[in-house]
Formats: sequence, structure tokens, C-alpha cells
Amino acid sequence: MSRRDIVVGLALLAALLAVPALDPSRYIIGQLTLFFIWATIVTQWNLVLGVAGIFSLAQTALFAFGGYVTGMIGLYFGWPLWFALPVGGLAAVAFSLLIGVACLRLRGAYVALLTLAISQVMYLLIITDTECFYMDGVTCRNLTGGTRGLTKYGDFGFREILGAQWILGNYYLGAAILALATLASFIIIRSPLGMAFRALRDNQVYARSRGISRFKYQLLVFAVSAFFTGLAGGFYAGHFKVMGANTLYLSLSLFLLSMVIVGGVGRVWGPLAGAATLMIADEAFKEFVEYRNLGIGAVMVLFVMLLPKGIAGTIEDTLLPRFKRAPKGEGQETG
Amino acid sequence: MDTFTQIVLSGLTLGAMYALSAIGLSLVWGSLNMLNMAHGALLTLGGYASFAAITQMGLPLFAGLLGAMAVGLLVGLAIYAAVVRFMLTDPAFETNIIVASFGLAIILENVILKLFGAYPFTQPFALKSGLYIGAVHMPYQNLFIIVGSAALMMATAWVITNTRMGRAIRATAQNREGAELMGVSVNLVFAQVLAIGGMLAAVSGVMLSSITTLAPTMGYDPMLKAFIIVVIAGLGNTMGALYAAFILALFEVSVQYMLGVRFGFPALLLLVIIALIWRPDGVFMKPKAQRQ
Repeated sequence: MSRRDIVVGLALLAALLAVPALDPSRYIIGQLTLFFIWATIVTQWNLVLGVAGIFSLAQTALFAFGGYVTGMIGLYFGWPLWFALPVGGLAAVAFSLLIGVACLRLRGAYVALLTLAISQVMYLLIITDTECFYMDGVTCRNLTGGTRGLTKYGDFGFREILGAQWILGNYYLGAAILALATLASFIIIRSPLGMAFRALRDNQVYARSRGISRFKYQLLVFAVSAFFTGLAGGFYAGHFKVMGANTLYLSLSLFLLSMVIVGGVGRVWGPLAGAATLMIADEAFKEFVEYRNLGIGAVMVLFVMLLPKGIAGTIEDTLLPRFKRAPKGEGQETG
Repeated sequence: MDTFTQIVLSGLTLGAMYALSAIGLSLVWGSLNMLNMAHGALLTLGGYASFAAITQMGLPLFAGLLGAMAVGLLVGLAIYAAVVRFMLTDPAFETNIIVASFGLAIILENVILKLFGAYPFTQPFALKSGLYIGAVHMPYQNLFIIVGSAALMMATAWVITNTRMGRAIRATAQNREGAELMGVSVNLVFAQVLAIGGMLAAVSGVMLSSITTLAPTMGYDPMLKAFIIVVIAGLGNTMGALYAAFILALFEVSVQYMLGVRFGFPALLLLVIIALIWRPDGVFMKPKAQRQ
């Protein structure tokens, strides 16, 4: 981790912790909490896509899996969500290993498709779930909640402690998960694992002959990223108090993927920059409801065409060297 | 016996729908390595173009098909001219084009929504009545799309294997620099492929919507199935895609009949994953030695 990264990270963290002191509206706190969730997924997706080079589109499937497991444990076993949350994360890891073993040996584009299809299957199995699993009074409820979504599994209990300010509890919990996820992604990029991938990228034949197994390392990164993605899912379930199949919509998945790309694939600060940019764009177009999606589509196309390295990549490679001569190779460090 | 006939006929109809969805996609992906997320929107666009020509402008049926072809061709060209052309030299082309084409898909979908509204319409380009095979009813429209999809696929495969343009497309698919050195204008090839891909997608959209309904989001689901078909057949293998579409559809319908409708697609996916582990380059491709 370079000193610059530590300074940027601490400054961002301090800013986010200080936001509630400005007494913003509940809407802003809510949107920032949502930003924490999306940004957590996006940092992990960036690891999978940009560092390990796995073209997986199953990140939202892992997210939804974590969320559903957390919710179901809360509902069917009566566990407090605080204990269900890590189990949700671990369940996502197990699911990711299953997907990884089946798909990661395949070539790039095939991985993309199969992982996309897996999330679609999950979506279909949930919305076609009509069998009665238990009776809630006179209404019949499905195992997964079906099209209505999974509810009544409780929340993180901030209402009892903080009263009307409960949303701040969720805000800080979300910020903590994002901070942990970002830290984990830093460590992975700089660790022997990250080195192994850099070696594989720079000279695959040589790296392999030194005994670096691409499959093994890819599976490892996929599993680690699944843990935080699953946590984000569990947190989403606890924050919104409903877990629905809308988390598996293709549109959400591609919205998050755009965040990865707009921010800069494989760059440490890319995910945060991308998530912030697209959420702000989304917010800006809310005023013009009719043109909202149209505007987001245009933003995506323009960014990819004009800044193919993403925001973080452009800043690191083009803007920073103009201000001062960066130490040799620093811009490429995370390439 | 009637059950069997029913399964076969449903399987054939579904297979034709899959084949239709896969045609333009197989061409664009196989030869440009461009995972075109706007394919679904192009299908939708074709369906609506035909609707606009026949129902709203009162033109005869075949004008609908021609109108859809023209619109698909123009939009395909526009995608090339406005976006793809500038991204060809991007080293991250394969990932970035997914995001760019998804952005285009959102734009197209919303333009359609603005022009026609979210209310679902019926596709006027359709044959009425049908015939009975045993006790099973088979609408003429279903027969038409079964034959039509196979004919379109075969025509595409013929163009790719036998014409000068097809040879240039295949050369570009195999090695872009190599083709350029041999005097192939890669830009022209990309423009041609996107235009033809758009046209084929639009025709498919007309036929697809003739047995489902027209809605701004109708393209997504066929697009996902088309991705699977193209992968299982092997990239760029158009005839393989035709076989794969019918085989997988028959399998899916059989599973739906035996285990219940909701397990059709999951079972299909499982089969596809197993098939790809067995043959990573596609089931209908010759296994080739690969230096790792």
C-alpha cells in the first residue's frame, strides 16, 4: 500500500464518519447507506474481474445468496441478524466455490455467460416458488418468499438502541463493511496472491513454469470476494427488511458492472469512484424521471468510449504524472 | 402418442425461437468477439418496426418484414458508426464493449418505450389458423417460424462459408492483424457484420413476437438463451447453433413435462455446464490442441 493510498483511504473514511454530524436528511443517509452496499459489491467484483481476470457476472447472485441465507436463518431459526450475517457471508463463499469449480476452467466469455445464466436460474427458481413452506396466519408463505420477497426476519436492532436515529446505526455498519471490504481488496492486490496474478498476466508461460496455478489462485480470490459480497447481501437484507428477487435483475447486475468499468477495472480506487459517479448520475436524472434510464445508458456509453481506463485509471496514468513525476512504474502498479 | 407429439412440437417451436434469437448474435459474437448486449434490444426493435409499418401505417404484411429489416440494418450500422468504430483499438475491447452495448440497449429500450408505451401489443405479422396432428393443434405460424428459422440460419451459414464477404469475415475472426495485412478492410468487415447482425436480429424479432407479445423488454430473455446456444455450439459455428437450439429446446420441454415447468431452464443450464466441461470449445467444434 503506498502512502498516497493510505492518506486517501483515511480521508475518505473520516469524511464518511463525519457526514452524520452535518445533520443531513434521512434521504441522504439512506442513499449513502445504499452506496456502501453497492460499493462493497463493486470492490469485490473489481478483484474478480480486474485482478484475477475472471469474467464473472455472478457477483449479484452471490450478493443475493448471502442476503437470502441471512434472511432465512433469521426467519426460520430465529437467530439475531448479527449472527446470521457472517453465516450468510460464508454461505456465499460455499456457493462461489461451487460456481468456481464448475466454471473457472472455461475460457473468458464462456465464464461470463454461464455465471450470467446461473443468476438467471436463481431468479427463476425464486419467482416460480409457489409451494407452501409454512402458514403465516391464513396466508401461505414460500421457502424463499417467492415474488413477494422474504420478510419478517428482523433487523440489526438499532431501533431499540438509537430510537428515531436507527438509520445511523445501519449507516455506520454499512460503512464498516465497506471499509473492511476495501481493506481486504488492498491486501489481496498487494499480497503474494496479487503478485501471482501480476506474474500470470505479464508472462503466463514463465509464471506457470514457476508453479503458479491460475485456477487455484482464481478460485481463492473468487471465494474471498464472495465473503464480502455475501456480507453486503446480508446487510442489504437487514437494512431494507425485505429480500426480493429484484436483487437478481439483470439491470442491477449491469448497473454495478458499469460502476466497475467506469471507475477503472483493476484499480484500487476505481470501484469507489465508479460507484459514486453512477449513483450521482442516477440521482441527477431523478429530476427528469422520463429520461432517467436513457441518461444512465448514455453516461455508460460515453464513459467507456472517452475514458476506457476508467476514472481512476485516467487520473493515475494521465493526470497525476503531470503534477509531479511519479516514482517509476507507480501508475502501473495495480494496472 | 399425443403426449409425445405434443412434446416434439413444443420442442420444435421453442427450438425455432432459440435459433431465431441466436442467429444475429452468433454472427456478431463469433466474428467480432463482441458480446453484444444490445442484441435483445435489436430483437425488440424489429418486432416494433413491423408493428408500426403494418398496424399503424396500414402497409401490407410483407412491408412489415421489410421495414424491420431496414430498421435493423440501419441501427446496426449506426451502432458501428457511433460507438464500435472508436473502440476497436481499445485493449480492453472485450469487456468495455459489454458495458457500451448494454448502455445502447438501455437507450434503445427507452426510445421504444417513449414511442410505443409499455402496453403490450400483438404482432400483426402472423398467419392465422392451423392444423391438427393427431389431437395436437399446430398453428401455421409455429410451422412458419420453424421453417423460417432453419432457412435463415442456413442462409447465414452459406454466406459465411461461400462468399467473398464471408471469407473476409472469417479471416477477421481468426486473426484481425493477419486479415488486415492481406488487404481486408477490417473496418468494413465490422460495419458489414453489425449491419447484417442487426438485420437478422430484427427479422428474428418479428417472428419471435408473432408467437409471444410485443413489449419493450421482450428481448432480454431470448438474448440470454441465445448466449447459451451460441456458447454450446462453439463461437462462430452457425450450423452448430441451429442444431444446439433444437436439441436443447427438446431437452428443456421434456424436462418441463416430466419434472415441472420451473425446472426446465435449471436442468438445461446443468446440461450446458457438463457439456462445456466435457468440450470447452463447444460441442459442435472439433477439439483442437491448445498450447497453454
